[in-house]
Amino acid sequence: MNRNLSRIIALSAGAIAIALPLFAGDYPLQVARNVMMYMALAITWDMLLRSGQISFGIAGLFGLGAYAGILGMIRGGMPAWLSIPFAAFVAGFAAFLIGFMILRLRAMYFSIVTLALGEIFRIIIHNLHDFTGGPEGIVIQQGVIFGGSSSKLYWLTLGGLAVAIAASYWFEHSKIHFALTAIRNNETSAKSSGIDIFKWLLVAFVVTSAIQGLLGGIFVQSYGFATPETVFSADFTLLPLAMALLGGVYSTVGPIFGAILLGLVAEWLKLKIPYGHLVVYGIIIILVILFMPNGLLGRIRQTTGKRAGRTA
Amino acid sequence: MMAPKQRTAILAGLAVIGTIALLAWKPTVVIYGLQAAGLYASIAIPMGLILGIVHIVNLAHGEIMMVASYATYFACKALGMDPLLAIIPAALVMAVFGWVLFQLTIKRALKAPELNQLILTFGIAIALSQSINLIFTSQTYKLQLDYVSSSIDIGDLSFGTWSFVFVAVAILFAYGLKYFLTKTTTGKAALAVGQNPRGAAIVGIDVNRMDALVFGLAIAMVGGMGALFLTKSAIFPSVGGPFTMKSFCLIAMAGVGNIPGILGASLLLGISENILRAFRDTRAWADIVFFVLIIVVIMSRSLKGRKS
Amino acid sequence: MTKLETANLTRRFMGLVAVNNVSFKLEQGEILGIIGPNGAGKTTFINLVSGIIMPSEGTITFNGRDITYMPAHERARLGIARTYQLIHPLENLNLIENVMIGSIFAKGSSLKEARRKAERLCEEMGLTNLERDTAKLTILEIKKMEIARALANEPEVLFLDEVMAGLNSDETKDLIATVKKIAAERKLAVGVVEHVMGVIRELTNRVIVLESGELIAEGPYEEVSKNPRVIEAYLGGAA
Repeated sequence: MNRNLSRIIALSAGAIAIALPLFAGDYPLQVARNVMMYMALAITWDMLLRSGQISFGIAGLFGLGAYAGILGMIRGGMPAWLSIPFAAFVAGFAAFLIGFMILRLRAMYFSIVTLALGEIFRIIIHNLHDFTGGPEGIVIQQGVIFGGSSSKLYWLTLGGLAVAIAASYWFEHSKIHFALTAIRNNETSAKSSGIDIFKWLLVAFVVTSAIQGLLGGIFVQSYGFATPETVFSADFTLLPLAMALLGGVYSTVGPIFGAILLGLVAEWLKLKIPYGHLVVYGIIIILVILFMPNGLLGRIRQTTGKRAGRTA
Repeated sequence: MMAPKQRTAILAGLAVIGTIALLAWKPTVVIYGLQAAGLYASIAIPMGLILGIVHIVNLAHGEIMMVASYATYFACKALGMDPLLAIIPAALVMAVFGWVLFQLTIKRALKAPELNQLILTFGIAIALSQSINLIFTSQTYKLQLDYVSSSIDIGDLSFGTWSFVFVAVAILFAYGLKYFLTKTTTGKAALAVGQNPRGAAIVGIDVNRMDALVFGLAIAMVGGMGALFLTKSAIFPSVGGPFTMKSFCLIAMAGVGNIPGILGASLLLGISENILRAFRDTRAWADIVFFVLIIVVIMSRSLKGRKS
Repeated sequence: MTKLETANLTRRFMGLVAVNNVSFKLEQGEILGIIGPNGAGKTTFINLVSGIIMPSEGTITFNGRDITYMPAHERARLGIARTYQLIHPLENLNLIENVMIGSIFAKGSSLKEARRKAERLCEEMGLTNLERDTAKLTILEIKKMEIARALANEPEVLFLDEVMAGLNSDETKDLIATVKKIAAERKLAVGVVEHVMGVIRELTNRVIVLESGELIAEGPYEEVSKNPRVIEAYLGGAA
């Protein structure tokens, strides 16, 4: 695709996204909000994957951000708008501490610890019931952002997505791209080129976790409550992962592409099979890994004969 | 620096002293800790076998056990059978399941980067637990069995005895595998594949067949455990998940390839959890012990790694 | 002027002594051959001085500064560069990006500067068509790319680990000339691990000989090759 054409596509997609509330009703807006939320999470998951580290902890950091936001408001008396950056800060700081401990180890160790994160944060929230509301959760009685206006909430979520896309673009077009790709391809070689592997992994982990926390903060403002079951739901790990894989990993476009496709399917499936609709994503993940490890985007690039991003 | 043997002896000594002190103070902590350790180890050992020889982290491990438990439950309900009788059939059925799973999925990912393998088994875990969720919903199922509630009274101390069966299974698994891997021809070949697949191929071992065999064997073990697990516990779609994570934690603590080490690690986890369970204020925190342990282990390894 | 120096450098792997008590100096402007039979510890030695692994005993100094336990990426920044025996192209980056990476982190160059510098280096190495995928490069091109990447961080010391392996004789001649030229122009201190003695004779001013991790001889190639201990080490290895 030539550069001008993709710029035009991106700009018009952005314009449509911004203008959507002017002509869409409440239900389409709600669907769009969900799709954008998952899309943003898919992008952040991919950003970290570019360093060769798989996180299964998206739901953990998302839920942590959600609780940080709502507790900041209810217990800390923060105004609603401030609770959102606060959510990002808490998730980023948690990622900094955890990353400091676990990023010296690689691959499976990192992945499994992140897999445990959702569970651990959930147990902590559960147990601190006097502060967090425990298993019943916690509700924002008053002062929810924008008075719950659905078009404004839509723009807020769009803002969260914009942050994720901007960060991903920054990752792709700066030194970070070189650092993460080198680490993924060959750590020894990366070291010899002067790359401080630990530092860059920590940067990537903290940035992506902070954005996941930010999205959690937005989520909780949109719905006005948080329970351990909703905000630490496996959906928030599973869907983004399936979306990024289906679309094609190691880029910003792939997860966006996958999220549009799967996001719409997801909303439909939720209505059709409320229990167990996640099985579809499990199967998509398996099939993509086995038969299309570069995702749809990789498939398209291959057939059009362009440089295919090899999986590493 | 101390010699490794000396250090092991000191650690073992400390463990014995600690256990005696605990036994005198809160005997049930040691008893229930031991029983929990048996359960953890019996599930972790097959996962360790897969990781050590096939070199795959099977993130669907607990979910596979869960599937075996469901199959056993409905078979027992339909046939009026005791789950104990179902252990061997469950193991055989799951061996076939494991073999098919290997041929259809795992085998294709063996040469792929580790990232793909992790995502693949994660996808399998989700597909299994969500299929069960779709078919049976999140309702819990439990069998009522008389022998499970058997207990012993010693003075004013009373405790359930059934769960000691897990300790027996754990020991059987650990030493049975040790015998298999060091004394039998097939086992030796499997061990060779685990240590050096290329070398094993050169001396004429069919690496792919060996991997399939080991994977099937491990899934059979965890399948049998599924039937046994059902005697004691209620089952629901997400019952297996924590066992996957705890099993991995135990394998990491023991060090990959060290199957008897899993017994020790399980003991540490089981007893630590039960110390917290012994008090009302700390009871709810028992489930994060494994996370703390894995972080401690990882930290101490990375510090040691930097020094040497 | 001495650039790099080791004193009593030792590395043990679980009881096996891979590098034993090696003391050596690498001077500015010289090309030093590091030779020895298979398993003599040559690559381990380079891994030690470049910081990929840490020594069990001994010290390493660079320009008089103790760098014994400095991590590899910091050594790269100080000016110690190397290539690897097994070629390591970063497969998800293209040719020029592979070279750029050498100056982005070690020198803190902006991407634009790094690209300009990489273009110059590629031209100097005779590499063309710079946006190519690494999968499409010949072995000679990959080797040149890795040398260019090493040069991009403006090193004072450069180690080349079996850089001629896998090349035919014309390509070898080409690369020998290139290495000599870049070393002379930059007044580099170069350490070369090499199996082919013809290359060592052509390329180096001086050699050190390792056997079972120990330094057993040192001097100009002509002299060392007549040393009975060296002959025995090689024959012993061959027998």
